[in-house]
Parts: sequence; structure tokens; C-alpha cells
Amino acid sequence: MAAEADVRAALHEVIDPELGVNIVDLGLVYGIDVNPEGEVRVTMTMTSPACPMRDYLEGLVESSIIERVPDVRSVVVDIVDEPPWSPDRMSEAARRQLE
Amino acid sequence: MKLKLGRAPFLLAAMLSLAYGVWMGLLRVGWVLPLPWPDQLILHGPLMVGGFLGTLIGLERAVGIGRRWAYTAPLCTAAGSFALVLGPPGRGGAWLVTAGSIVVVAVFVSILIRHATAFTGVMLIAAVMWTIGNGLWLAGASIYRVVVWWIAFVVLTIAGERLELNRVLKPPAATLSLLFSAVGLVVAGACIAVPQPALGLRILGAGLGGISGWLCAYDIARKTVRLGGERRFIAVCLLSGYVWLGVGGIIALSIGAATPGVSYDAVVHAVFLGFAFAMILGHAPIVFPAVLGVPMPFTSSLYGPLVMLHASVAVRLIGDLIEPLARLRAWGGLLNAAALLLFVLNTARVMVFARVRNDSPGR
Repeated sequence: MAAEADVRAALHEVIDPELGVNIVDLGLVYGIDVNPEGEVRVTMTMTSPACPMRDYLEGLVESSIIERVPDVRSVVVDIVDEPPWSPDRMSEAARRQLE
Repeated sequence: MKLKLGRAPFLLAAMLSLAYGVWMGLLRVGWVLPLPWPDQLILHGPLMVGGFLGTLIGLERAVGIGRRWAYTAPLCTAAGSFALVLGPPGRGGAWLVTAGSIVVVAVFVSILIRHATAFTGVMLIAAVMWTIGNGLWLAGASIYRVVVWWIAFVVLTIAGERLELNRVLKPPAATLSLLFSAVGLVVAGACIAVPQPALGLRILGAGLGGISGWLCAYDIARKTVRLGGERRFIAVCLLSGYVWLGVGGIIALSIGAATPGVSYDAVVHAVFLGFAFAMILGHAPIVFPAVLGVPMPFTSSLYGPLVMLHASVAVRLIGDLIEPLARLRAWGGLLNAAALLLFVLNTARVMVFARVRNDSPGR
């Protein structure tokens, strides 16, 4: 059965194309739900509500999970605007990477 | 990656505006080419700003907020461009482009209502400046009186986008106030240019120089340029574009050339070509996949159009600013067109090959 840790590891491979930081350390991922049937739901946000990369990142998240996590039947990506992203959500690793 | 071909007609319309606008541009710098319709030379600026940049920016925002109504922005600017080129004489095309700019204003207002942020505010100001410029154009103002508003639109849109991304570095308030001061100078310059064009352009130039200096000093591209591949390419495009913004600002500030002539040509093309197109080249590997759903993997060939763009802008500005070398202006214009053509062809080649590779058996 797919595990949340595996999904999170797969999301670490989804990199913001300009910053070079993965979306987990960037603080874009708000939640990961995995049910016993192998259905994965990722709740995430964008750095801005008008970011044109919405569909693009959604596609990368889906394909990264499907390719890297075994026993996944489907992936749903919910992109939400609330609460809005702020730089305080970034991990220490992301901050060091951008220093 | 899912194909988003429904958005392709908008991009195609933007590219056609670009092609027609560049054709008019070549005629304007003196190349003897067929002029499809009489009196169309005046369309160079409207097609490049409203038809090409306006459609791209409107499309980018519509994709960003994901609302159907927002697509009326690129729809109106694209339809307006076709009306300008093919339609009967009149103001229909200008009305449509103006309608598109109003929709972009509405997009930013809708975002600002939900999330009041400084960067959205700057982009809203940019869209308002575009709309005011379009209103002046509709009212019959000459393009050279309108162009300061269009410069403000493009520069402030990009400044807002950079401000948004630079939040990851948490710039201190004192640093941000420098940028906001420069934005204020750009707005003030455009407003003052209505009664006093030369003074207004000088103030606008100071603002452009300020934004350029701020971006060169604080933008995250200074850090990402140390990374490899795509990240470095984007940063090189951005940083090199900021230099042209500064050059345009310095020329505008020192000469205040608000009427058509060589100095005016230098300011306009340093900003719209050297700066704005460097941003477009840099963001193509991000925006095209985001809009069309077609991958655009980084290859070192992407540097080719960038080098040619910068070299061609340099040649043009040398021709503009050094009287004995005035002939270089026309050659610079031709090289500008060649750089943009190379960019379009290379982008299409990279995306087609990536698509074919993705579709090939075994993948």
C-alpha cells in the first residue's frame, strides 16, 4: 500500500523551475491523504493566486507520484488559495539553498 | 503533461501580431519591403505592445486565475490586433485592445480583493497604466505620447512579478521602499508627460533606472545564476535584461527625448526589446509548458537567440546614439528581427522534439 512518506518523497522531486527548490521545502504542500485503495489527494497552494504555473505544477505532482510511488491508483491535486502562501512556510533547507 | 491546445490560438495570434509588428518595424528603420495596406506603419507599436505583449500577459493571467471570463482579455487583444491589421479603417481595433486591458485590470482587482499584497498592487497599477495609455490612443493621441504609459505597463508588470518571487528572500522594508519609490517615479513620469513630455520622460527614466538598479542589486537571479542549466539560463536572461532597462532609463533621464527620433528609438527599444524580450526568452521554458502543456526541456541552444538579441539591440543603439554610425540602426533593426525569428523557430523546435520524445513507444 502507498504510504504518505513515499508520496512526500515523490513531491520532493517536483522542483520550482526558477528557484530550483522542491515544492515541499518551499512550503507549497498543505496536506497529503492516502487511502487504503491507493487514492492519493495532495492539497497545495501556489506562491501567488495568479501564478500561471498552476496547471504545470499540478501535472508534475501527478506524474511524480505515479512514477515513484507503488500501488497508487489515482492522484487528485487540490490547489487552494487559502491560506495564502508566505515565505514563513519555507523550510530551513530551502532558506539555506537560497542563501 | 496534458496538452492545453485550446490556448494555442491565443499564442498563435500573439505570434502573428509579433510578426506583423516586426515587419512594420523593418519598414520604419528603412528597409524597402512591401507595405500590405497604406498607412499601416503606425501599427508597429500597437501590435508589439497590445497585440503581442498584451495578449501574452492577458493569457498568462487568465491561466493563473483559472477563470473563463479572464480569457476575454487575450481574446479582445488578439481580435483587436486582427482588426487593426485587416479591419476597415476606424477605431474598432483600438477599442478591442482597450477592452482587453480593462479585463486585465479586473483580473488584478479580483485578486487584490482576495489577497491584498504589494506585488499584486504593482501589477494592478501596471494594468491601469496600460488602460490609460490605450484610452489616450483611442482619444487620438500620437503613439509617441502614449508610449510612456505602455513602457510603464510592461516594466511595472515585470517589477511586480519579480517582487512576488523575491519574497522568498524576505527583503527588508527599507529595501522594498527603494523599489516602491522607483515605481512611483515611473507612474509620476507617465502622468507628467501628458502636459510636459520631455520632463515626464526624464522622470520616467529615473524610475526605470531605479527599478533596474534595484533588480540588479537584490533580485534572486543573482543567486540562481550560480545554479546550472535552466535556472542559470533564466537568471542570465533576467540580469542581462535589467542592464538594458538601466540603459533605457539613463538615456531617457539624460536626453528626455519624448518625440520620435534616434534617442526616442534608443529608449523604446532598450526597454521593449533589450529588457522585455530578455524576460520573455528567459521565461519561455516555464510559460510555454504552463500555457500549452507541452514540455520545453532546457538545451544550451536557448542561449543562441539571447546572444543575438543583445548583440542586435547594441548595434541598434550604437546606430541611434552615434551620428557617424547611423546606418547601423537599420542593420540593428534587421538583426532584431532575425533574433526574434530565431527565438520562435528554436522554441518550436525544442517543444516539437520534446513532444515527439514523450510520445515515442516505451515512454
